[in-house]
Amino acid sequence: MTWDWTYAASIMPDLMFGVFVTVLVTVACSVLALLGGLLIAIAQVTTGRAGHRATRVIIEFFRGVPILVLLYFGYYALPEIGVLLPGYAVGVIVLGVVYAAYCSEVYRGALMTIPSGLRDAAAALGLSTFATWYLVLIPIAVRKSLPALVNYVLVLYKQSSFLFAIGVPVLLAQAQLAGYQSFRYLEPYTIAGVLYVLMNVPFVLYQRRFGIKTRGGLS
Amino acid sequence: MLIEFLPALLQGLATTVAIATSSILGCAGVSIVLGMARRTKFAPVSVGAGSLIELLRGASVLIYLFWVYYALPLVPGMPRLSPLVVSVLVLSLVAGAYGAEIVVAGVDAVPKGQAEAASTLGLSKYQTFVTVVLPQALTQIVPAFASLAIDMVKWTAIVSFVGVQDLLAIANNIRVISYSTVGVYAGVALIYLGLCLVTSYLFRLLERTLPLNRALEAGRATAASSGMSTLVVQP
Repeated sequence: MTWDWTYAASIMPDLMFGVFVTVLVTVACSVLALLGGLLIAIAQVTTGRAGHRATRVIIEFFRGVPILVLLYFGYYALPEIGVLLPGYAVGVIVLGVVYAAYCSEVYRGALMTIPSGLRDAAAALGLSTFATWYLVLIPIAVRKSLPALVNYVLVLYKQSSFLFAIGVPVLLAQAQLAGYQSFRYLEPYTIAGVLYVLMNVPFVLYQRRFGIKTRGGLS
Repeated sequence: MLIEFLPALLQGLATTVAIATSSILGCAGVSIVLGMARRTKFAPVSVGAGSLIELLRGASVLIYLFWVYYALPLVPGMPRLSPLVVSVLVLSLVAGAYGAEIVVAGVDAVPKGQAEAASTLGLSKYQTFVTVVLPQALTQIVPAFASLAIDMVKWTAIVSFVGVQDLLAIANNIRVISYSTVGVYAGVALIYLGLCLVTSYLFRLLERTLPLNRALEAGRATAASSGMSTLVVQP
Protein backbone atom coordinates (compact mmCIF):
# COMPACT_ATOMS: atom_id res chain seq x y z
CA MET A 1 0.00 0.00 0.00
CA THR A 2 1.44 3.35 -0.96
CA TRP A 3 0.88 6.74 0.56
CA ASP A 4 -2.31 8.43 -0.65
CA TRP A 5 -2.20 12.22 -0.29
CA THR A 6 -5.85 12.86 -1.14
CA TYR A 7 -6.93 10.36 1.51
CA ALA A 8 -4.49 11.91 3.97
CA ALA A 9 -6.00 15.32 3.27
CA SER A 10 -9.54 14.01 3.64
CA ILE A 11 -8.95 12.74 7.18
CA MET A 12 -7.17 15.89 8.36
CA PRO A 13 -10.33 17.58 9.75
CA ASP A 14 -11.05 14.53 11.93
CA LEU A 15 -7.46 14.38 13.11
CA MET A 16 -7.42 18.10 13.90
CA PHE A 17 -10.47 17.57 16.09
CA GLY A 18 -8.40 14.91 17.85
CA VAL A 19 -5.63 17.45 18.34
CA PHE A 20 -8.13 19.87 19.84
CA VAL A 21 -9.46 17.23 22.25
CA THR A 22 -5.91 16.19 23.17
CA VAL A 23 -5.02 19.76 24.08
CA LEU A 24 -8.28 20.22 25.97
CA VAL A 25 -7.82 17.02 27.96
CA THR A 26 -4.17 17.84 28.67
CA VAL A 27 -5.10 21.26 30.03
CA ALA A 28 -7.91 19.87 32.19
CA CYS A 29 -5.73 17.06 33.57
CA SER A 30 -2.87 19.46 34.22
CA VAL A 31 -5.06 21.81 36.23
CA LEU A 32 -6.33 18.91 38.32
CA ALA A 33 -2.88 17.39 38.77
CA LEU A 34 -1.11 20.64 39.64
CA LEU A 35 -3.74 21.83 42.13
CA GLY A 36 -4.44 18.37 43.54
CA GLY A 37 -0.76 17.66 43.98
CA LEU A 38 -0.31 20.87 45.93
CA LEU A 39 -3.24 20.01 48.21
CA ILE A 40 -1.91 16.49 48.81
CA ALA A 41 1.54 17.84 49.61
CA ILE A 42 0.12 20.37 52.07
CA ALA A 43 -2.03 17.68 53.67
CA GLN A 44 1.01 15.45 53.96
CA VAL A 45 3.15 18.11 55.56
CA THR A 46 0.55 19.44 58.00
CA THR A 47 -1.28 16.35 59.27
CA GLY A 48 1.46 14.69 61.26
CA ARG A 49 2.47 11.07 61.17
CA ALA A 50 -0.92 9.39 60.67
CA GLY A 51 -1.92 11.69 57.83
CA HIS A 52 1.49 11.31 56.31
CA ARG A 53 1.15 7.52 56.28
CA ALA A 54 -2.36 7.63 54.84
CA THR A 55 -1.40 9.94 51.96
CA ARG A 56 1.73 7.84 51.40
CA VAL A 57 -0.39 4.71 50.85
CA ILE A 58 -2.70 6.53 48.44
CA ILE A 59 0.22 7.98 46.49
CA GLU A 60 1.96 4.60 46.22
CA PHE A 61 -1.27 3.03 45.01
CA PHE A 62 -1.77 5.51 42.21
CA ARG A 63 1.87 5.26 41.20
CA GLY A 64 1.91 1.47 41.16
CA VAL A 65 -1.18 0.70 39.10
CA PRO A 66 -1.22 1.05 35.29
CA ILE A 67 -3.31 3.94 34.02
CA LEU A 68 -5.24 1.59 31.78
CA VAL A 69 -6.43 -0.46 34.75
CA LEU A 70 -7.58 2.69 36.52
CA LEU A 71 -9.31 3.93 33.38
CA TYR A 72 -11.16 0.63 32.94
CA PHE A 73 -12.04 0.65 36.61
CA GLY A 74 -13.51 4.12 36.33
CA TYR A 75 -15.29 3.38 33.09
CA TYR A 76 -16.60 -0.16 33.62
CA ALA A 77 -16.53 -0.80 37.37
CA LEU A 78 -17.71 2.50 38.86
CA PRO A 79 -21.12 2.37 37.12
CA GLU A 80 -21.64 -0.97 38.83
CA ILE A 81 -21.42 0.68 42.20
CA GLY A 82 -23.67 3.50 41.11
CA VAL A 83 -21.23 6.12 39.81
CA LEU A 84 -21.93 6.75 36.15
CA LEU A 85 -19.51 9.21 34.59
CA PRO A 86 -18.93 10.06 30.93
CA GLY A 87 -15.64 8.98 29.37
CA TYR A 88 -14.22 12.50 29.37
CA ALA A 89 -14.77 12.83 33.10
CA VAL A 90 -13.31 9.41 33.91
CA GLY A 91 -10.26 10.11 31.78
CA VAL A 92 -9.58 13.56 33.18
CA ILE A 93 -10.13 12.46 36.76
CA VAL A 94 -7.96 9.35 36.48
CA LEU A 95 -5.04 11.10 34.75
CA GLY A 96 -5.46 14.14 37.00
CA VAL A 97 -5.43 12.11 40.20
CA VAL A 98 -2.53 9.86 39.16
CA TYR A 99 -0.38 12.84 38.24
CA ALA A 100 -1.50 14.72 41.32
CA ALA A 101 0.16 11.88 43.21
CA TYR A 102 3.35 12.35 41.20
CA CYS A 103 3.27 16.15 41.49
CA SER A 104 2.67 16.02 45.24
CA GLU A 105 6.11 14.45 45.62
CA VAL A 106 7.63 17.40 43.78
CA TYR A 107 5.80 19.95 45.93
CA ARG A 108 6.66 18.06 49.11
CA GLY A 109 10.34 18.08 48.17
CA ALA A 110 10.15 21.82 47.54
CA LEU A 111 8.30 22.45 50.81
CA MET A 112 10.91 20.52 52.75
CA THR A 113 13.74 22.61 51.36
CA ILE A 114 12.17 25.89 52.50
CA PRO A 115 14.28 27.10 55.43
CA SER A 116 12.38 27.04 58.72
CA GLY A 117 13.50 30.63 59.31
CA LEU A 118 10.87 31.74 56.83
CA ARG A 119 8.12 30.18 58.92
CA ASP A 120 9.58 31.82 62.01
CA ALA A 121 9.68 35.15 60.21
CA ALA A 122 6.07 34.76 59.13
CA ALA A 123 5.09 33.93 62.70
CA ALA A 124 7.08 36.91 63.99
CA LEU A 125 5.19 39.17 61.59
CA GLY A 126 1.97 37.83 63.06
CA LEU A 127 0.75 36.17 59.86
CA SER A 128 -2.04 33.69 60.34
CA THR A 129 -1.46 30.06 59.33
CA PHE A 130 -3.50 30.60 56.20
CA ALA A 131 -1.59 33.75 55.26
CA THR A 132 1.72 32.02 55.91
CA TRP A 133 0.83 29.28 53.47
CA TYR A 134 -0.90 31.48 50.94
CA LEU A 135 1.57 34.36 50.86
CA VAL A 136 4.87 32.73 51.75
CA LEU A 137 5.18 28.97 51.54
CA ILE A 138 3.05 28.11 48.51
CA PRO A 139 4.55 30.74 46.17
CA ILE A 140 8.07 29.63 47.05
CA ALA A 141 7.26 25.93 46.74
CA VAL A 142 5.55 26.45 43.39
CA ARG A 143 8.47 28.42 42.00
CA LYS A 144 10.93 25.77 43.12
CA SER A 145 8.81 22.98 41.64
CA LEU A 146 8.12 24.62 38.30
CA PRO A 147 10.71 22.81 36.12
CA ALA A 148 9.64 19.39 37.36
CA LEU A 149 5.97 20.32 37.04
CA VAL A 150 6.39 21.39 33.41
CA ASN A 151 7.86 17.96 32.88
CA TYR A 152 4.78 16.31 34.26
CA VAL A 153 2.55 18.42 32.02
CA LEU A 154 4.57 17.10 29.10
CA VAL A 155 4.14 13.55 30.36
CA LEU A 156 0.41 14.15 30.82
CA TYR A 157 0.15 15.35 27.25
CA LYS A 158 1.72 12.12 26.02
CA GLN A 159 -0.36 9.96 28.36
CA SER A 160 -3.58 11.61 27.21
CA SER A 161 -3.42 9.25 24.22
CA PHE A 162 -4.40 6.46 26.65
CA LEU A 163 -7.88 7.93 26.88
CA PHE A 164 -8.75 6.44 23.51
CA ALA A 165 -9.25 3.19 25.45
CA ILE A 166 -12.44 4.56 27.00
CA GLY A 167 -13.72 6.30 23.90
CA VAL A 168 -12.47 9.85 24.41
CA PRO A 169 -11.82 11.20 20.89
CA VAL A 170 -8.17 12.14 21.42
CA LEU A 171 -5.86 12.20 18.41
CA LEU A 172 -5.05 8.49 18.61
CA ALA A 173 -8.74 7.57 18.81
CA GLN A 174 -9.52 9.75 15.78
CA ALA A 175 -6.71 8.10 13.82
CA GLN A 176 -8.01 4.67 14.75
CA LEU A 177 -11.54 5.64 13.73
CA ALA A 178 -10.35 6.97 10.37
CA GLY A 179 -8.46 3.72 9.84
CA TYR A 180 -11.49 1.58 10.65
CA GLN A 181 -13.75 3.49 8.32
CA SER A 182 -11.52 3.24 5.26
CA PHE A 183 -9.35 0.19 6.01
CA ARG A 184 -6.32 2.39 5.45
CA TYR A 185 -4.14 2.52 8.53
CA LEU A 186 -0.85 3.82 7.18
CA GLU A 187 -1.87 7.45 6.71
CA PRO A 188 -3.92 8.06 9.89
CA TYR A 189 -1.41 6.47 12.26
CA THR A 190 1.58 8.08 10.58
CA ILE A 191 0.02 11.55 10.56
CA ALA A 192 -1.08 11.11 14.17
CA GLY A 193 2.43 10.08 15.19
CA VAL A 194 3.99 13.04 13.41
CA LEU A 195 1.48 15.42 15.00
CA TYR A 196 2.12 13.99 18.46
CA VAL A 197 5.87 14.46 18.02
CA LEU A 198 5.48 17.97 16.55
CA MET A 199 3.21 19.13 19.37
CA ASN A 200 6.08 18.38 21.74
CA VAL A 201 8.22 21.07 20.20
CA PRO A 202 6.84 24.01 22.23
CA PHE A 203 7.50 22.12 25.47
CA VAL A 204 11.03 21.19 24.44
CA LEU A 205 11.75 24.79 23.39
CA TYR A 206 10.43 26.02 26.72
CA GLN A 207 12.66 23.60 28.57
CA ARG A 208 15.69 24.53 26.48
CA ARG A 209 15.05 28.21 27.01
CA PHE A 210 15.04 27.86 30.76
CA GLY A 211 17.92 25.42 30.70
CA ILE A 212 15.90 22.70 32.35
CA LYS A 213 18.03 19.59 32.54
CA THR A 214 15.75 17.17 34.34
CA ARG A 215 13.82 15.63 31.50
CA GLY A 216 10.53 13.92 32.04
CA GLY A 217 10.37 10.22 32.68
CA LEU A 218 8.18 7.61 31.18
CA SER A 219 5.14 7.80 33.33
CA MET B 1 -16.76 -17.20 42.33
CA LEU B 2 -13.80 -15.59 40.66
CA ILE B 3 -11.65 -18.50 41.78
CA GLU B 4 -12.49 -20.48 38.64
CA PHE B 5 -10.74 -17.84 36.55
CA LEU B 6 -7.55 -18.11 38.56
CA PRO B 7 -5.68 -20.39 36.10
CA ALA B 8 -6.43 -18.03 33.21
CA LEU B 9 -5.39 -15.06 35.31
CA LEU B 10 -2.13 -16.75 36.26
CA GLN B 11 -1.43 -17.43 32.62
CA GLY B 12 -1.97 -13.77 31.87
CA LEU B 13 0.31 -12.88 34.75
CA ALA B 14 3.01 -15.15 33.33
CA THR B 15 2.72 -13.41 29.95
CA THR B 16 2.93 -10.00 31.60
CA VAL B 17 5.99 -11.03 33.61
CA ALA B 18 7.65 -12.49 30.50
CA ILE B 19 7.04 -9.33 28.46
CA ALA B 20 8.15 -7.10 31.31
CA THR B 21 11.34 -9.08 31.90
CA SER B 22 12.34 -9.28 28.27
CA SER B 23 11.57 -5.65 27.56
CA ILE B 24 13.44 -4.47 30.66
CA LEU B 25 16.47 -6.47 29.50
CA GLY B 26 16.01 -5.19 25.96
CA CYS B 27 15.65 -1.65 27.27
CA ALA B 28 18.92 -2.02 29.18
CA GLY B 29 20.68 -3.02 25.97
CA VAL B 30 19.11 -0.23 23.92
CA SER B 31 19.91 2.30 26.68
CA ILE B 32 23.58 1.40 26.71
CA VAL B 33 23.93 1.39 22.91
CA LEU B 34 21.98 4.64 22.40
CA GLY B 35 23.59 6.29 25.42
CA MET B 36 27.11 5.48 24.32
CA ALA B 37 26.31 6.49 20.74
CA ARG B 38 25.02 9.79 22.12
CA ARG B 39 28.27 10.36 23.98
CA THR B 40 30.72 9.59 21.14
CA LYS B 41 32.73 12.47 19.74
CA PHE B 42 31.95 11.42 16.16
CA ALA B 43 29.23 13.94 15.33
CA PRO B 44 27.10 11.97 12.82
CA VAL B 45 26.67 9.13 15.31
CA SER B 46 25.96 11.30 18.33
CA VAL B 47 23.57 13.60 16.43
CA GLY B 48 21.82 10.57 14.91
CA ALA B 49 21.44 8.94 18.31
CA GLY B 50 20.23 12.25 19.79
CA SER B 51 17.58 12.67 17.09
CA LEU B 52 16.42 9.08 17.54
CA ILE B 53 16.14 9.61 21.28
CA GLU B 54 14.12 12.80 20.79
CA LEU B 55 11.87 11.09 18.25
CA LEU B 56 11.17 8.11 20.50
CA ARG B 57 10.48 10.38 23.46
CA GLY B 58 8.28 12.62 21.36
CA ALA B 59 5.09 10.56 21.55
CA SER B 60 3.66 8.07 23.97
CA VAL B 61 4.68 4.43 23.67
CA LEU B 62 1.09 3.68 22.70
CA ILE B 63 1.47 5.62 19.44
CA TYR B 64 4.59 3.69 18.52
CA LEU B 65 2.96 0.38 19.40
CA PHE B 66 0.00 1.11 17.10
CA TRP B 67 2.19 2.43 14.36
CA VAL B 68 4.56 -0.54 14.33
CA TYR B 69 1.73 -3.05 14.58
CA TYR B 70 -0.84 -1.56 12.21
CA ALA B 71 0.95 0.87 9.91
CA LEU B 72 4.49 -0.47 9.48
CA PRO B 73 3.48 -3.72 7.70
CA LEU B 74 1.70 -1.59 5.09
CA VAL B 75 4.96 0.04 4.07
CA PRO B 76 6.30 -1.99 1.11
CA GLY B 77 9.07 -4.37 2.12
CA MET B 78 8.34 -4.20 5.84
CA PRO B 79 7.61 -7.39 7.77
CA ARG B 80 4.44 -8.21 9.67
CA LEU B 81 5.65 -9.04 13.15
CA SER B 82 3.82 -11.08 15.75
CA PRO B 83 2.08 -9.16 18.54
CA LEU B 84 4.52 -10.43 21.13
CA VAL B 85 7.57 -9.38 19.10
CA VAL B 86 6.07 -5.94 18.38
CA SER B 87 5.31 -5.43 22.06
CA VAL B 88 8.77 -6.29 23.32
CA LEU B 89 10.44 -4.40 20.48
CA VAL B 90 8.46 -1.19 20.95
CA LEU B 91 8.66 -1.22 24.74
CA SER B 92 12.43 -1.84 24.63
CA LEU B 93 13.07 0.86 22.05
CA VAL B 94 10.91 3.60 23.54
CA ALA B 95 11.98 2.95 27.12
CA GLY B 96 15.56 2.61 25.84
CA ALA B 97 15.39 6.21 24.64
CA TYR B 98 14.63 7.28 28.20
CA GLY B 99 17.25 4.87 29.54
CA ALA B 100 19.87 6.33 27.19
CA GLU B 101 19.56 9.68 28.94
CA ILE B 102 20.01 7.92 32.28
CA VAL B 103 23.19 6.28 30.97
CA VAL B 104 24.51 9.58 29.58
CA ALA B 105 23.79 11.41 32.83
CA GLY B 106 25.34 8.64 34.90
CA VAL B 107 28.56 8.50 32.89
CA ASP B 108 28.82 12.29 32.80
CA ALA B 109 28.45 12.39 36.57
CA VAL B 110 31.72 10.52 37.12
CA PRO B 111 34.39 13.18 37.76
CA LYS B 112 36.74 13.71 34.77
CA GLY B 113 39.76 13.30 37.02
CA GLN B 114 38.99 9.61 37.39
CA ALA B 115 39.38 8.92 33.69
CA GLU B 116 42.44 11.19 33.51
CA ALA B 117 44.08 9.38 36.41
CA ALA B 118 43.35 6.03 34.79
CA SER B 119 44.92 7.08 31.51
CA THR B 120 47.93 8.46 33.40
CA LEU B 121 48.35 5.02 34.92
CA GLY B 122 48.52 3.67 31.38
CA LEU B 123 45.08 2.10 31.12
CA SER B 124 43.63 1.90 27.63
CA LYS B 125 40.41 3.75 26.81
CA TYR B 126 38.43 0.53 27.01
CA GLN B 127 40.05 -0.48 30.32
CA THR B 128 39.44 2.98 31.72
CA PHE B 129 35.79 2.83 30.86
CA VAL B 130 35.10 -0.72 32.00
CA THR B 131 37.18 -0.80 35.19
CA VAL B 132 37.08 2.82 36.37
CA VAL B 133 34.23 4.88 34.93
CA LEU B 134 31.47 2.30 34.52
CA PRO B 135 31.54 0.89 38.08
CA GLN B 136 31.10 4.41 39.45
CA ALA B 137 28.50 5.39 36.87
CA LEU B 138 26.40 2.32 37.69
CA THR B 139 25.82 3.64 41.19
CA GLN B 140 23.90 6.50 39.56
CA ILE B 141 22.43 4.57 36.67
CA VAL B 142 20.87 1.62 38.47
CA PRO B 143 18.55 3.53 40.86
CA ALA B 144 17.27 5.69 37.99
CA PHE B 145 16.88 2.61 35.85
CA ALA B 146 14.89 0.98 38.64
CA SER B 147 12.15 3.58 38.41
CA LEU B 148 12.16 3.23 34.63
CA ALA B 149 11.74 -0.53 35.03
CA ILE B 150 8.81 -0.04 37.39
CA ASP B 151 7.21 2.24 34.82
CA MET B 152 7.79 -0.41 32.19
CA VAL B 153 6.00 -3.03 34.26
CA LYS B 154 2.95 -0.77 34.27
CA TRP B 155 3.38 -0.05 30.58
CA THR B 156 3.13 -3.69 29.62
CA ALA B 157 -0.61 -3.26 30.12
CA ILE B 158 -0.83 -1.61 26.69
CA VAL B 159 0.14 -4.80 24.84
CA SER B 160 -3.46 -5.98 25.22
CA PHE B 161 -4.29 -3.55 22.38
CA VAL B 162 -2.33 -5.59 19.83
CA GLY B 163 -3.84 -8.87 20.90
CA VAL B 164 -1.34 -10.19 23.43
CA GLN B 165 -3.18 -12.14 26.13
CA ASP B 166 -1.53 -10.43 29.06
CA LEU B 167 -2.94 -9.89 32.53
CA LEU B 168 -5.13 -6.96 31.51
CA ALA B 169 -6.45 -8.68 28.38
CA ILE B 170 -7.43 -11.74 30.42
CA ALA B 171 -9.05 -9.48 33.00
CA ASN B 172 -11.08 -7.82 30.27
CA ASN B 173 -12.26 -11.23 29.08
CA ILE B 174 -13.16 -12.27 32.60
CA ARG B 175 -15.13 -9.07 33.05
CA VAL B 176 -17.20 -9.86 30.00
CA ILE B 177 -17.90 -13.42 31.15
CA SER B 178 -18.38 -12.92 34.87
CA TYR B 179 -19.94 -9.44 35.15
CA SER B 180 -18.03 -8.91 38.40
CA THR B 181 -16.25 -5.83 37.11
CA VAL B 182 -15.25 -4.30 40.42
CA GLY B 183 -13.64 -7.45 41.77
CA VAL B 184 -11.74 -8.20 38.57
CA TYR B 185 -10.20 -4.77 38.18
CA ALA B 186 -9.50 -4.35 41.88
CA GLY B 187 -7.69 -7.70 41.85
CA VAL B 188 -5.72 -6.81 38.73
CA ALA B 189 -4.77 -3.44 40.21
CA LEU B 190 -3.40 -5.20 43.29
CA ILE B 191 -1.46 -7.69 41.16
CA TYR B 192 0.18 -4.85 39.21
CA LEU B 193 0.96 -3.08 42.46
CA GLY B 194 2.59 -6.28 43.71
CA LEU B 195 4.61 -6.61 40.51
CA CYS B 196 5.89 -3.04 40.91
CA LEU B 197 6.89 -3.74 44.51
CA VAL B 198 8.72 -6.92 43.47
CA THR B 199 10.54 -5.03 40.70
CA SER B 200 11.56 -2.32 43.12
CA TYR B 201 12.78 -4.94 45.62
CA LEU B 202 14.81 -6.79 42.97
CA PHE B 203 16.48 -3.57 41.91
CA ARG B 204 17.32 -2.74 45.49
CA LEU B 205 19.04 -6.13 45.75
CA LEU B 206 20.89 -5.35 42.53
CA GLU B 207 21.96 -1.97 43.88
CA ARG B 208 23.55 -3.65 46.85
CA THR B 209 25.80 -5.73 44.59
CA LEU B 210 27.18 -2.72 42.71
CA PRO B 211 30.97 -2.34 43.11
CA LEU B 212 30.92 1.17 44.56
CA ASN B 213 28.10 0.42 47.00
CA ARG B 214 29.86 -2.76 48.12
CA ALA B 215 33.06 -0.80 48.65
CA LEU B 216 31.21 1.84 50.66
CA GLU B 217 29.56 -0.83 52.77
CA ALA B 218 32.88 -2.59 53.36
CA GLY B 219 34.40 0.75 54.34
CA ARG B 220 31.58 1.36 56.79
CA ALA B 221 31.97 -2.14 58.22
CA THR B 222 35.72 -1.75 58.81
CA ALA B 223 35.19 1.69 60.31
CA ALA B 224 32.63 0.24 62.68
CA SER B 225 34.80 -2.73 63.63
CA SER B 226 37.90 -0.59 64.15
CA GLY B 227 35.82 1.80 66.23
CA MET B 228 34.73 -1.19 68.29
CA SER B 229 38.29 -2.41 68.74
CA THR B 230 39.51 0.96 70.00
CA LEU B 231 36.64 0.91 72.47
CA VAL B 232 37.67 -2.53 73.60
CA VAL B 233 41.38 -1.73 73.78
CA GLN B 234 41.14 1.60 75.57
CA PRO B 235 40.18 0.51 79.08
